[in-house]
Amino acid sequence: MSKASSSQKQRSRARGKTGRRKKPSVAKPLAALAAAVVVALGVAFYLQRSADEQAASAPAPGSRNTGPLISPQGWSKGNSQARAVLVEFVDFQCGACAAASSRVANIARKHGSRLKIVFKHHPMQRAHGNAMIAAQAAEAAGLQFKFWEMHDLLLQRQHEWAKVPDAQTLFLRYAAELQLNPARFRRDVWSREVREKINRDILEGQMAQVKSVPAFFLNGKPIPNNRDEFEFEQSIVDGIRSLQ
Amino acid sequence: MVLAGFAGMVDSGYVGFHSLTGLLIPCGPAGGCDQVLNSPYSHWGGVSIAWFGFAFYLAVTAAGIFGLSGFRQVFRFSLIASLAAFLVTLYLLYVQAFVLQAFCDYCLLSAFLVFVILGAHLVLRPWNRTPEPA
Repeated sequence: MSKASSSQKQRSRARGKTGRRKKPSVAKPLAALAAAVVVALGVAFYLQRSADEQAASAPAPGSRNTGPLISPQGWSKGNSQARAVLVEFVDFQCGACAAASSRVANIARKHGSRLKIVFKHHPMQRAHGNAMIAAQAAEAAGLQFKFWEMHDLLLQRQHEWAKVPDAQTLFLRYAAELQLNPARFRRDVWSREVREKINRDILEGQMAQVKSVPAFFLNGKPIPNNRDEFEFEQSIVDGIRSLQ
Repeated sequence: MVLAGFAGMVDSGYVGFHSLTGLLIPCGPAGGCDQVLNSPYSHWGGVSIAWFGFAFYLAVTAAGIFGLSGFRQVFRFSLIASLAAFLVTLYLLYVQAFVLQAFCDYCLLSAFLVFVILGAHLVLRPWNRTPEPA
């Protein structure tokens, strides 16, 4: 018997009784892959949650807010000593927020002596891709004492920047209109200080169960965002009266 | 390769989850995470590119596990995916270095993992190897 035929026999013996090479199983690697994906996502989710909790527990610089859910700190207008504090959570890219801003301005004009109005950021980033950068632009303008001016511009010209891929360029133009220092504005938009301030507002909104924007709270009590100007004003006036 | 794929899934999953919450992401020595991860280059079609990265690392992990279980030919597909990921990584490194002028630690780790995965494919050529006898 030749060498070739003996090695052929050996190979066929190795293939088993059926004469075929045993096919590798799919089930085991599939199970291993599923386990790897679940573990990887679990680890990523755990790390992300613990980082957020750390950020949430970090106190705001200069803040003495240990008790109340919504702090009265932030950009404000009206009477800073008033007992009644209206806090608004706003997303600059939300149409309802732009619509509500005139109602809030009207209330500030009429009842500003008895009311402090505090602005808080609540960008809904999953729905509004430019909401965060708009909030950053407003805060960067605030560092040059023009928060409210940028706030008004952003809401008035929302249609202009809401859907553009590079909103930052437009915001630089707004900054120029407001005569802000462009280099400082560009730097501040991405500064850690600005991002941390916005994130503190977001976390405060999450703790206050803000699910939609704009959201209003009068001394911690939610006020419905009534689109009827008179009814909205009335609910705030009633709230102010109840506090006096 | 499986380990690199797994590490990539954790890295991109972490960034992906952060992109859903929109909260500040802790940043290491590179320091530019906020700028990079909130730039217009960080999303494709409204989806964070971290999730595209996750899909790539998932494919590499799958190729590694199936390849080691006897399905050697899947390494040919993961080689093509790795080459594509390498080109995308080069583009993203260019964006960080010259457009944004900011680097993000998570992106640099991802770039390193892509280089490792492609290097492993080119050096080991695992699709050519015959399976070890049981």
